[in-house]
Amino acid sequence: MEAVTSLLAGFETALTPLNLLWALIGVTLGTLVGVLPGIGPALTVALLLPVTAQLPPVSAFIMFAGIYYGGMFGGSTTSILLNTPGESSSIITALEGNKMARKGRAAAALATAAIGSFVAGTIGTILLTFAAPAIANVAVMIPPSAKFALIMLAFVTISATFGNSPLRGLISLFFGLTIGLVGTDLQSGQARFTLGRPELLDGIEFVTVVIGLFAVGETLFVASRLRKDKASVIKLDGNASMTREDWRRSWKPWLRGTALGFPFGAIPAGGAEIPTFLSYTLERRLSKHPEEFGKGAIEGVAGPEAANNASAAGVLVPLLTLGLPTSATAAILLAAFQQYGLQPGPLLFVTNGDLVWGLIASLYIGNVMLLALNLPLAPVWARLLLIPRPFLYAGILVFSTVGVYSLNNSVFDLILLAIFGVIGYGMRRFDFPVTPAIIGVILGPVAESQFRTALQQSNGNPTIFLQSPLTVFILLAVLAALIVPAVLKARAARRV
Amino acid sequence: MSDSTVPPIPPAPAAPSARPGLSVPDLLVALGVVLLGALLLAGTLRIPFGINAVVGPRVFPLIVSVGTLLLGALLTVNVLRGGRAEPAAEEDTDPDAQPDLRQPGLILGGFLLGAALLQPLGFVIGTALMYFSVGFAFGERRAPLLAGVALAVALVTYVVFTRGLGLTLPAGILKGVL
Repeated sequence: MEAVTSLLAGFETALTPLNLLWALIGVTLGTLVGVLPGIGPALTVALLLPVTAQLPPVSAFIMFAGIYYGGMFGGSTTSILLNTPGESSSIITALEGNKMARKGRAAAALATAAIGSFVAGTIGTILLTFAAPAIANVAVMIPPSAKFALIMLAFVTISATFGNSPLRGLISLFFGLTIGLVGTDLQSGQARFTLGRPELLDGIEFVTVVIGLFAVGETLFVASRLRKDKASVIKLDGNASMTREDWRRSWKPWLRGTALGFPFGAIPAGGAEIPTFLSYTLERRLSKHPEEFGKGAIEGVAGPEAANNASAAGVLVPLLTLGLPTSATAAILLAAFQQYGLQPGPLLFVTNGDLVWGLIASLYIGNVMLLALNLPLAPVWARLLLIPRPFLYAGILVFSTVGVYSLNNSVFDLILLAIFGVIGYGMRRFDFPVTPAIIGVILGPVAESQFRTALQQSNGNPTIFLQSPLTVFILLAVLAALIVPAVLKARAARRV
Repeated sequence: MSDSTVPPIPPAPAAPSARPGLSVPDLLVALGVVLLGALLLAGTLRIPFGINAVVGPRVFPLIVSVGTLLLGALLTVNVLRGGRAEPAAEEDTDPDAQPDLRQPGLILGGFLLGAALLQPLGFVIGTALMYFSVGFAFGERRAPLLAGVALAVALVTYVVFTRGLGLTLPAGILKGVL
């Protein structure tokens, strides 16, 4: 019961009045920014990074934990009341929840999403508490070659699952890898692709890339083809609440959604889309009211929303134990760790145990706070959706500027931000998913370092990647992930 | 922000009327990816070999540049065979709207001007300018109101980030006042 002892120590860290305050600020800001239409959890965390700049690491990560879960809670409010999913894993919530809201059941939809997220988040965090240290113990023994192979697996699955075509996903990934190459090579001290600019010797800040591609790119794209009619926000009178019947129909989907979401988040090939879709299909099949699906079935909100939040907890398993982010949000959290000079991975539990356990403990606390914030305050968050678009997008741009400028107090970074904004516009215009690029920027340098370490151990003999059975197994999975979807697609095309 | 993976909501109109011809913008993008790969390859070959390193600083960039070239070639083939990209459907966009590049141009211009004035005139004025240009591009025409909100937002942001969070942002001409 080592985990329990460590967790209790974590609670001791997280429960100091000051850290509780940071957690509260984190969940509030996370919900606040997450509710804003157009801002998903990844951008929420990236935009709020500068807020934590002056905090000690433990407080900063406690705040991040709040922002992370808060962003997801806020996102479901937007999906339900405005039918606008901030990220692909909220699509189902928007699909079914918005229909409920249109039928006058907004309060119940919001409540089942919030309580379901709480249940899933808490169970997910419990699983994380026990799974993470166990996996970290095993992960210490994974050779660099297998770590490299794992990163390849994450690359390929993320490129293939985000977006409509794996080719476009891979191009996006390689663009990210290219950005990751810029700067001084840490092992040899060689400057690479700096175009002679001293500002580029330290590489390009990931915050600039993330905010440029996501926020500025989005602003430019929306401006170019703005919807003229007013978005229809559904009015919410009173708190988010559920009837006895709603509870009866919700609790099983919550648990099933959690069971689907957590493992999919935890495997280094996941993402939250698959479990939310699976959960939706499952609930539809098990429901006594299948005819309600597509017209506002409460099970269709409860299950997917639980799956989404459970996978958010699951994503932290590979992030904390292997240093492997499997979602854009996790990639930004990883980069935040790196900014504090911390490298998530199996050793983090040994070297920075207080931080990791403080972070995990604050996930429990954040969940409780979010429930308390979201049920009674739902009407307040709903009002945020009424901010007129010109003022909203202008505000997003100003916050982007603060985030990027405050990194180095350099106007050069703002020019880079504008360039990435234009690229982000182009990616939307030409259907390239943004997430693979973000993962490429952040994981590319890690992949290179594992690749080189592996080869150095073998004195440059590339067969090192074929010697460990684990590595071979993972590399075969990578190949399968590349080939199988293409084959399936070709087959489907032939049948038509 | 919503990834471009979000399927169209509401669904985009079924696109192809008969067989779509070659899309020139798509071809330019595909060739752009090829060009990027070629430039990367050229840059890679200029990286000196590392000393005493089994795997030098060149190997990984080589993989990335060759990969980019190959993917670019695949995309070019795809476009030549009639493939074309569907613009992403975002929350506040109208898939049927005629794209208007003047609005993003206005935002970009305001942003670069604001960035250039950030140090001489200060953060508040620089970002207020950016705020104004975005608001204007998004169709807000009540200029005095927009300017007022822009200044207020910039000022509050400045005070919160410098006083509350200890970041340093340039005060510019408002130095001494703030």
